[in-house]
Amino acid sequence: MTSKERRVVIVPCSGIGKPFGTVSREAAYEVCETLRPDETQLVALSKLVLGEEEACRRVDSSPAITIDGCKLMCAASLVKLRAGTIVSEVAVLDVFRRHKDLKPEGIAELNEAGQQLARVVAREIAATIDQVHQAETGGGADHA
Amino acid sequence: MSEYLEATLDKFTFRVATDRVYTADGVWLEPQGGSRIRVGVTDYLQQHSGDVAFVSAKPRGTRLVLEEEFAALETIKVNLSLPSPVTGTLVEVNDALGTAPELVNQDPYREGWLVIIEAANWDVERTRLLDPDAYFAVMRSQVEAEIRQP
Repeated sequence: MTSKERRVVIVPCSGIGKPFGTVSREAAYEVCETLRPDETQLVALSKLVLGEEEACRRVDSSPAITIDGCKLMCAASLVKLRAGTIVSEVAVLDVFRRHKDLKPEGIAELNEAGQQLARVVAREIAATIDQVHQAETGGGADHA
Repeated sequence: MSEYLEATLDKFTFRVATDRVYTADGVWLEPQGGSRIRVGVTDYLQQHSGDVAFVSAKPRGTRLVLEEEFAALETIKVNLSLPSPVTGTLVEVNDALGTAPELVNQDPYREGWLVIIEAANWDVERTRLLDPDAYFAVMRSQVEAEIRQP
């Protein structure tokens, strides 16, 4: 996925003041800055709420992965409202249910378990991005 | 099919089913015939506690003492210990909650039930419980007190 226009858009929720919301944003940073920096673009949900032109254009033109901290699913809902193409709706709570030992706590700064949970979420998203890449190119994924 | 009392306070709407009785803590009890009582949590308690991640109930056959824990909910906000509303024996657990704990949030009065208890002193202990109107008033005051908090 070399075209910047077709980079997968990552949209985390804005659950400010909630540990699961913080996990969603930490996971988004992990994906966009560390795991798949060349294949993703991060879009802040608040920019979509405000209708910021560049953020809306990205969501309108590229596949999106949303990450939500709670079942209100604000990120997914807003991308759907824009008729964006969501390839995966990630719910942090669902990932936590598979990793009961990783209970996130803390808000401004997550505890170690929360940081680990964010890394788990990020790895799952990276795998999804590879699948999207593979489907678009018809080739194998470059990442281990 | 249950009917509901409904209160909209601030931006939230809370429902209270009219076909069962309640504790002030937000546990409902629905008689199933004889002394078998289906037990769950109220719409207010589930909304107040947040999305449920895990439900753990005491095993079938557990002898329950009044006010001692019969189940616990782990949500995204709190770990909630639920005190038994009656004395008796836990005879059924809602196994569906093992794979779908979100049922507690989605349908607290029906699919999200927690356990069934064979009550030992139902005729006596039921007198301590609240009818729907009384619980509705308690719930309203709890919500209003929460809204008033800075």
